[in-house]
Amino acid sequence: MKKNDLKSMGKSFTKYILIIGALLILLDFTFHRHEYFSFAEIYGFPAFFGFVSFVFIVMLGKWLRKFLMRKEDYYDQ
Amino acid sequence: MISNFIPGLIMIITSFLLPTIPQYFRHPAILLSVGLSALSLFNGYGTFLEWDILGLNLILYQSDSLTLPFAIIFHIAAILVIIFSWHSKNLMEHMATLAYAGSAIGALHAGDFFSLFIWWEATALTSVFIVFAGNTNAAKDAAMRYLIIQVSSGVLLLIGACLMLYQTGNHNLAVLDLKTNFGIFIFIAFGIKAAFPLLNGWLQDSYPESSVTGTVALSAFTTKLAIYALARTFPGTDSLIWIGAIMTAFPVFFAVIENDLRRVLSFSLNNQLGFMVVGIGIGTELSLNGTVAHAFVHIIYKALLFMSMGAVLHRAGTTKASELGGLYKYMPFTTIFCIIGAMSISAFPLFSGFVAKSLIMSSLGGMGMVLIYFILFFASAGVLEHSGIKIPYFAFFAHERKNKVKEAPINMLIAMGIAAFLCIAIGVFPKYLYQILPYTVDYQPYTLDHVISQLQLLVFAIIAFLFLVKFKLYPSEIRSTVLNSDWFYRKMLPGIGKPLFKKIGILTESLYKNLGLSFKQVLSKSYKFSNLSYIKVTTPSFAGTILISILFIMLVIVLV
Repeated sequence: MKKNDLKSMGKSFTKYILIIGALLILLDFTFHRHEYFSFAEIYGFPAFFGFVSFVFIVMLGKWLRKFLMRKEDYYDQ
Repeated sequence: MISNFIPGLIMIITSFLLPTIPQYFRHPAILLSVGLSALSLFNGYGTFLEWDILGLNLILYQSDSLTLPFAIIFHIAAILVIIFSWHSKNLMEHMATLAYAGSAIGALHAGDFFSLFIWWEATALTSVFIVFAGNTNAAKDAAMRYLIIQVSSGVLLLIGACLMLYQTGNHNLAVLDLKTNFGIFIFIAFGIKAAFPLLNGWLQDSYPESSVTGTVALSAFTTKLAIYALARTFPGTDSLIWIGAIMTAFPVFFAVIENDLRRVLSFSLNNQLGFMVVGIGIGTELSLNGTVAHAFVHIIYKALLFMSMGAVLHRAGTTKASELGGLYKYMPFTTIFCIIGAMSISAFPLFSGFVAKSLIMSSLGGMGMVLIYFILFFASAGVLEHSGIKIPYFAFFAHERKNKVKEAPINMLIAMGIAAFLCIAIGVFPKYLYQILPYTVDYQPYTLDHVISQLQLLVFAIIAFLFLVKFKLYPSEIRSTVLNSDWFYRKMLPGIGKPLFKKIGILTESLYKNLGLSFKQVLSKSYKFSNLSYIKVTTPSFAGTILISILFIMLVIVLV
């Protein structure tokens, strides 16, 4: 039971976040969302932008490890 | 009489008297000094103290609508730090922290560049002891580098101020531009402390090396003082928009792969400064209000996040993501406070970050700056990644923990509790924050469009995180060093300099030898100077030499 604490928390968290996400997208269809730039008014644009940005940041960061990552004692050598 | 006393000065005087005060009364005395200094907040606007010296008129104490919000938040930050470090018996750190906060408050009230310079250097000289109090070899080295960089910033400011006085006959704080040479000097001086791109290395180098409580103090003052100075002297400087945009975007990638969570927060701090710098660059009333509001709320939630990581360091002994996880069971209150800080910095509606960042975003949108707007929107997803998710996730969740640890001490919980309360209170009742901003602007952050748009961005970024973790695409925590701009003076310059100095040493030595016996007697004294052991090159001294030479060359160029 103890080992599953974090897993079950993670599962229920995922469930709720997905529900909230779905609601937010549905809500977008119920009214016209005014934005400063017209292309940002497309349905679900911020959601799409958020998802893609996040994945991009993590993936590029991961790739940058090749160039930027050194051993922990790099500066002590 | 107190009304003419420079705000913050009483804190500095108290800090010097601390050793004479018995241990038991030290903290109350410190709090009292901050309280007395805070009385100045009720003085209103105007010039209160001037000093004629050496033919110069120094404005030591002035206050206006830009000074006030910064002065309020600096006092609040000082109180938070004092409560957070109540348990500590480190006298040097208490003295340094109090004097540092006092100097920063004093700097806000300077009315001319020379008085600003004095406080500017005072913040450097006091805060270096806070880094020093980290009390490890790494902290001592970082402190030396920190000192060199900070003092250089002050020297540049002094050069700028002298040139300005020489060329215009004026030395009062005024709006400057980059067309004048003194403007450039002052701009770079401020830019160093505001951690502009490539000038930012000192921040991520020194802050994480400082003590449990020290980092909280450091995070509040130096960089925000620079933001204040930029807002006062360079509002509407176009290049700041791009500089700020780069600052918001770049640190994000470094934060993804950094293992030390306090260093992650330092990258995050850099990214937050970017938002403020963009606001200054736009230079409208709305955007400057946005910068001030953002600095105000940022000091609170950033202190909260650093406090929560300080508490983790205090109890678990490390803030390395690779060694942490599962602390939510043992430190439930710290977990909750950390999550509140994380939600505030991520700008969730009803949290303080939302009501401040909206001002800057709206002014960008209103000006039609589409590219910058989306860089900042993109950076908002980045903030969520490193401060909103990474910090709480790796410290408190991630995986189960084997060793028990205790919850943070009560004084830490109180400090975090106050900060968390302020984060939510400002988010729910933004009008009280808006009232103290420099310009009267009627602004409503809670429109349906705005709330839905922000929530979509954040919630789907969280879904992206869950997706990446589920498919094991999220980078695992690895014990490592991530290269940053401090690499240039920590590795590259010594890498060039050490062999070069060695070569010069060998050359001079052989030169002396070849000069023959006849000169040997005459040269016997100077001979030993060519001995290699006399040319010792250490990294700080070498970096210092290079910096001073650069400054000197710049001065010569300008004067010629």
